[in-house]
This record gives sequence, structure tokens and C-alpha cells, in this order.
Amino acid sequence: MQRRDYLIRKIFFAFITLIVVAFFNFLLFRILPGDPVRLIIHSPRMTREAQERIRTNFGLDKPVWFDGERLHEGDVIGAFDSQFTAYVRNLLRGDLGISFAHRQDVSTLLAERAWRTVVLLLGGDLLAVVLGMTAGLIGAWRRGTRLDLAILLWGLFSWALPTFFLGIILLILARGRLPVGGMVTAGLKPEAGLTYWLDVGKHLILPTITLAVVYTGEYILIMRSSAMEVLSEDYILTAKAKGLSTFRILRDHALKNAMLPMVTMIALTLGYTVGGAIQVETVFSWPGLGRLMYEAVQKRDYPVLQGSFLLLAISVIAANLLADLLYSALDPRVKAE
Amino acid sequence: MKTNLWRFLVVCVVLALTAPSLIGCQPQPETTTEAPQVQPTEAPAAEPTLAGAEPPTEPEPVTLHVGTTYIWDTANPTFGWYNYNLRNLIYDTLIEWGDIDTFEPDLAESWTVSDDGLVWTFKIREGVTFHDGTPCTAEEIAWSLNWTIENEIETFSFYLANFAEVVALDPTTLQVTLSDPVGNMESALLLFTWILPPSVWDGMSYDEIMEFEGVAAGIGTGPYKLVEWVEGEYLILEAFEDYWRGRPAIDRVVYREFATDDVMIQALLAGDIDVIDMVPGPGVQSLESADTVEVLIMDSLFIDELIINSHENGTQPASLNDPQVRLAMEYAFDRGQIITLGYLGYGEPATTVLPTSMGDWHNSDIKPILFDPVEGNRILDEAGYLDTDRDGIREDGEGNPMEYRLYATDSASNARILEVISDGLSQIGISAPPTVMNEDSLIGLYPDFDFDLIYWGWGLDPDPDFAMFIFTCDQREEGGWNDSGYCNEDFERMYEEQAVTVDQEERRELIWEMQQKLFDDRPYLVSTYYDNIQAYRSDRFTGFGLGCGDILWKWCFLQGSPIE
Repeated sequence: MQRRDYLIRKIFFAFITLIVVAFFNFLLFRILPGDPVRLIIHSPRMTREAQERIRTNFGLDKPVWFDGERLHEGDVIGAFDSQFTAYVRNLLRGDLGISFAHRQDVSTLLAERAWRTVVLLLGGDLLAVVLGMTAGLIGAWRRGTRLDLAILLWGLFSWALPTFFLGIILLILARGRLPVGGMVTAGLKPEAGLTYWLDVGKHLILPTITLAVVYTGEYILIMRSSAMEVLSEDYILTAKAKGLSTFRILRDHALKNAMLPMVTMIALTLGYTVGGAIQVETVFSWPGLGRLMYEAVQKRDYPVLQGSFLLLAISVIAANLLADLLYSALDPRVKAE
Repeated sequence: MKTNLWRFLVVCVVLALTAPSLIGCQPQPETTTEAPQVQPTEAPAAEPTLAGAEPPTEPEPVTLHVGTTYIWDTANPTFGWYNYNLRNLIYDTLIEWGDIDTFEPDLAESWTVSDDGLVWTFKIREGVTFHDGTPCTAEEIAWSLNWTIENEIETFSFYLANFAEVVALDPTTLQVTLSDPVGNMESALLLFTWILPPSVWDGMSYDEIMEFEGVAAGIGTGPYKLVEWVEGEYLILEAFEDYWRGRPAIDRVVYREFATDDVMIQALLAGDIDVIDMVPGPGVQSLESADTVEVLIMDSLFIDELIINSHENGTQPASLNDPQVRLAMEYAFDRGQIITLGYLGYGEPATTVLPTSMGDWHNSDIKPILFDPVEGNRILDEAGYLDTDRDGIREDGEGNPMEYRLYATDSASNARILEVISDGLSQIGISAPPTVMNEDSLIGLYPDFDFDLIYWGWGLDPDPDFAMFIFTCDQREEGGWNDSGYCNEDFERMYEEQAVTVDQEERRELIWEMQQKLFDDRPYLVSTYYDNIQAYRSDRFTGFGLGCGDILWKWCFLQGSPIE
């Protein structure tokens, strides 16, 4: 019963957050300076009429919130024929609009880019989680030894390592052996089957290593400190006294209890994953969400910005919700709250 | 429940450990054996024209990979402004721009002009076809030019402003009647007017033309046809079998987009790409030390300049309109330092708006004014701009401090250049703190001429008309090219005169006079004529022409060939 209340409460708050985000999403990009029409028109020589036509096509001729004059005249429905109501209406229909710059459906564009970003980041993320957790746990267990020191130094080093720097160094090292950037050899299509996927795999090696190295630091440090706390507890001593093997102590007693802060960490990282890693995508010229958003900011491509921020918000909120739910499963105290 | 969850986590961890390692490790042994990528198996099914040739006997196509930071924004040539050299491989013009100051016959084999300069008759090449197989005779060319004029095609219709009538007398004769004589028919008007096929564009409304996208937009008569473009990733061109000069020696040209210059340079060193279309200054050294790479530092038609707001309704302070102040600023403008820090030395100090690469058009009588803040200070003292309140900044007669707004687009080199400019001006008692902003914010200042100084640049036409055109009064309207707000009666008169002067020596004299006028009035302080730096793999390709200032420019590119 309590558990169900907890769930409902969490989901309710997630939903509220989402609505607030959707609202701010609209507001945020319209505060930015710069006129999107100037960027849709490629030519400085375009006539005023042609510019107006583009404005109308993209709904930019309408007022942002409502038309005060028409409201005054009593034309309530007409007055609220605004960019905001159109945004809400389309959002409810699941229509994210058409990109100014790409002249393409935003949902299609986002879906296409999102899977590329997930392909790019997932491997590195997961590798980092596993390596970071293992190394952190070993460091905590071997606390104070040279091994621990090495792990700690590595953690600090990789945490501080700039992504783009490591990426470029790896590119230089692998020069001639692995492709320099891009996602696939030009012209190769998924229809080519295995050849295509092997080619993508080859392009993935360096970004995956980069991400794994850069992300491990964080996991090592958190896992190490959290495990160290757990290992100093009395029940670990009891376990040792019972004669359990090191592996079993670490797995059954230490890891499990040290997992709590890690769960939050992992969930957040995975949530942000969807938003793309602009630096990795830039260094490896990977056409993912991060670069799409970066370009959209430059081009004041409101629909793409709104869509991608919404997607980002949804994934972060979902990841948080997941962390909350896992918490309640991992830690009995959370339920009682 | 708890143990189940635990198992689930373990499974996740195991999966996570193995999955990336499967992706990550499998191809590794393979990569140590062979450096270059396996070429995609040409997908003959998708390309009907290739279906006849069976893959086993077909030799591997020679592919040249070009690295660039931006391919283009659209395949549609009617409003796309990026990468002229790429489009020029796809489309032909009547007369072709060859080496920087020369022009060559293209679709027109030869031409004559009537004595009054109004009627031009072109002999059109026979046997030319568009990529879709439709013929390209004088009829289609006349259609294309008329269609360009009628639809006011953004990218090139303004070149055809004086065209009164275009008719095909027979399949090999094209006649153009002008409303006024034109001084630069060969050297400007026809160089950029691509001939597009009626089979694709005929019957479209203006909106349909503007929205047209896809491979068909890339149908022309040029040496390469557009095969595929994936936005943000790559673009593939393929040799056109029936190109009128004969099939080009390089079978495929692939443009690849890179997000950063540094990575692009690594890609060239690795052999992933064969040409970099624009090498940033800092990359030159590392490329020059590689013996498989040839770095080309070529004269170009690029100029960069400090724009001084000259619009009579602009928001600049009154002191900025004083010719003496502008002269003093010229003495405080350290071109040598700007070129060293902003262009790493790859540029020459400039005087007039027309670069030296334009040959005779460049007014070589105008002598450079060297950096000399002492002289600058003397001029300002004499003109009555004194630092009355001793704060290091001079004031004008009404006590307004000489503080100017100095802007540029946000690039690393611009930030350095602005520092040099600001520092130079401060030495003559003018305060101009630098501000960088993104391009559209900068463009946004134009409708009201709401700026004092902007550092910016141009890529010019080989003919001087365009460089002069940007200082004409009409071009100050929103959407025009005039970015300084300059408008002068004498200059206007000379511009109109040179436009209709057919005698090229007379026209040169006018152009020289106009340069002198601009140099004296100073709407621009032109800083440098900078080099176009390109690099290519000299172990794979050879023979590119070097006179165009761009080895990817059709005329020079077609001279290149692969090394067997």
C-alpha cells in the first residue's frame, strides 16, 4: 500500500516537472536574441515579400502569447491564435513541428539522431560503469595499498581529463588503423548488412574508449568512497569472522550497500546520454543529437531546440524516476518514508 | 524479490561488459593488416546506369575524398550559397572562370559582339547532354537564362540585369540582346550563371522552385553528377560518362564533413581524406612536415577589412565621419601584426579593395600607409581632438570621448585581430574595446547601421564590378550588399560609367580612380589579401592546376589525375 502511494507520488511529480519543462522550453528560446527568419533565408538579397511568406509558413507572423488588441476587441479565440497555443496544441498531438533549418519533421529528425547518439554513448557508458565500479570496490578493499593509490590516481586523472583532448590524442595514435571520425564510410547503407555494422563498429572504437576513460573517474571515486564507508561497518567484520570469502563479502555485503549512491549516478548519466555528448560528437564528427542541438542554437531553429530539450527532459526525468524506483527496491527504508 | 533484482543487476553488468567488448575488439585484428577502408561494394542495384557493368571486371573506382567543415545547406542551386567549387563541378556555364584572371569557353565555343555592344552571339557546343540524358542545345540554354531572369533566381539572376532578350536562333546559336552595353560580359556575368535543365525545373512555381530538394536538383551538364548527399555527413559525386570534355580521370569525389579542423588535418595525414579545401593557418606546419602531403599556399580573391560605419543615418559618433580621424586610424592600423597574429603570416598587407591577385585591376599606384601611431597622434592633435580630461581618451569639440564599438564574428583568430586593432587605436587615444558575437547578431545590426567598426571580409569575383557594386547607394537597402553604408555621388557616377564601358583599358582607368576614391574616403580599412591554403595527398593524386587559387575549382581540378 505504502509502496503504491510512493510510486504514484513519484510519477505525479515527474509529470508536473515535465509540464513545467515544456512551458519553459517555449519561453527560453524566444528570449534569445536573433531572428530565425534571417537564418532561414539563405540569401541577403531576398525580398521583403518572400521573407514575409517564410514567416507565415512557419507561424512566426503570429504573436508569441496572445494578441492584446484583438482581446480588447472581444475576439478571444482570434486573440489566442498565437505561437504558444499552436505549440501546446501540436505538443498534445505529438507533433513537434518542422525544423526551420532542415525543413524536415522534427520527430523524424530527432529519432534519427537519437539512435545514433545512443549507439555512440551506450557502449562507453556501460564500460565505464563496470570498470569504475570494479576498480572503486577493489580500491576500497585494498585501502591504503599501492594498488589503491594507483586506482585513486587514475580516477582523479581520468575525471580531470578533457574529453576533446583525449579524443584527439587517440585519433593521432590510431591514425591509419582506424577511421578518423564519421559514423560510417560514405555511401555504405544498412542494407549492406554485416559489412555496414562492422564498419560502424570500427568507427565506434575510439569514441567508446574515450567515453569509457573519461567517465570511469567519476564512478571510481564515488564507488570507492561509498564502499569504504560500508567496509568499515561492523557487519563486514562479522562476515569476515564467519569466514566468508573476500569475493562473497564484497559481492553480498559491500557492493549491495554501496550501490545506493551509484544507482543515482548511473541513472543520471544514462539520462543525460540521450542529450548527447557534444564534445565526443564534435571530435569524432558523429552526427548525433549533441551536434544537432548545437547547430540548432546557432541557427535559432526553435522547433528542433524545443523538441530536443523536451526529449532530454523526458529522458532525465525518466532516469530519475527509475533511480527512485530502484531505490525503493534496493533500500527498504525508502518505502517506509 | 531482492535476490531477483540482484541477479538482474549482475546480468546487466555481464551484458555491459561483454557487449561493448564485442563491438570494440572484434574489428581490431583486422585493422592492423590493412589501413584503408574497404570500399563499399558499389551497390549496383541502386544505380541503374551501372547495372550493365559487372563488378568482377570493373576496376576499383578512383575516389578522391575532400574534407570540409561544411558541405552545403541545400542541393538546390537556386538559393544555396555555400561551396561554389562543389556546385561548379556539377553545372556548366556559357563561359568558364579558369585561372584567377582568365576566362575560358565552356558551353559557348566562341562568341561575337555587335559594334554597339548590345548584341552578343554565342556559338554553342554540340553534343552536350544533361546528366539525365536530355540534350543541352542553344534552346535549353536560352530557356535556362530566361527562366533565371523571370524567376529572379537569387544566386545569379542579378548578373543578368541588363539582359533584354535571350533567343536560340538555331540549336548551336544563342543570341543575347542587352538593354545597355555591359563592360564585363565575359568576365563576370556569365561565369556564375549555371545552365539548368528544363526537364527538371520547367513548370514549377516560385515556391516549388524554392522548396525543391534532392538529387534531381543536382542535374547539370558538368563533369560530375550528384549521387547522394547525407546532411552533416557526406556527399558523393560520380564522373559523368557523357561529359563533353570526356569522362574525368577521377571516378568519384566524396565530400566529408568534419566538426573540427584539427581532426580534419589528422584525417589527411592518415589518408582518410585526400584534399582539405581550406587549411587553417595553425595546421600548415604539421602538414608541411609530412612527405605524403603537398601544402598549397595560393593567392586568392579573399580580403578582410575593418568596416567603418559611413551611413549618414548610422548610429556612429560624429567624430568617426571626419576624414582626418579616419586617416589617423589608418596610421594606428597595424597590418603587419594583424597578419602575423590573425593569419599566421599567410597574407599580404592590403591597400585597396581589389587584391593584387586581380592583376591589372589592382591600383598599384596606391602606396600602403605604414603603422605609425606618432603620426596618427599628430593628425588628431592638429584636427583638434584633444584629451582634455587626461583620461587617455581624446574628446571631440563637444567634449564627447572618442569611444567606438568594435565588433567581429566569434572566431579565435578574430579575437586576436580585434585585440591588435583595439591596441593600435588606444595608442592614438581612441578607445575601442573588442566584442565578438555570432554572425546573425552581427547581421542584425545592419538594418539600422547600428555599429561603429566591424571586422569582416569578402570573397570577390575575378571581375572588379562586384567589389565596387558593394559601395553603391542602392545596396544599402535591407538585404543589399553595402555593409559600410557608403554612398557617394562621384563614386556612383564612375560605377555606372565603368559598367557600360566596353573598352577594357578605359574601364581599368575608371576602376583605378574608384579605388583611389575609396582609399581616401575610407569606408573600409582593408587589412589583408590573405592566402587560400589547401593541402592534398601528393602520393595519390597529381597534376591539379594551381592558377585558380583553388584546386577544387573545375578548371584546375579536371587537370588532376590519380597516381597509379
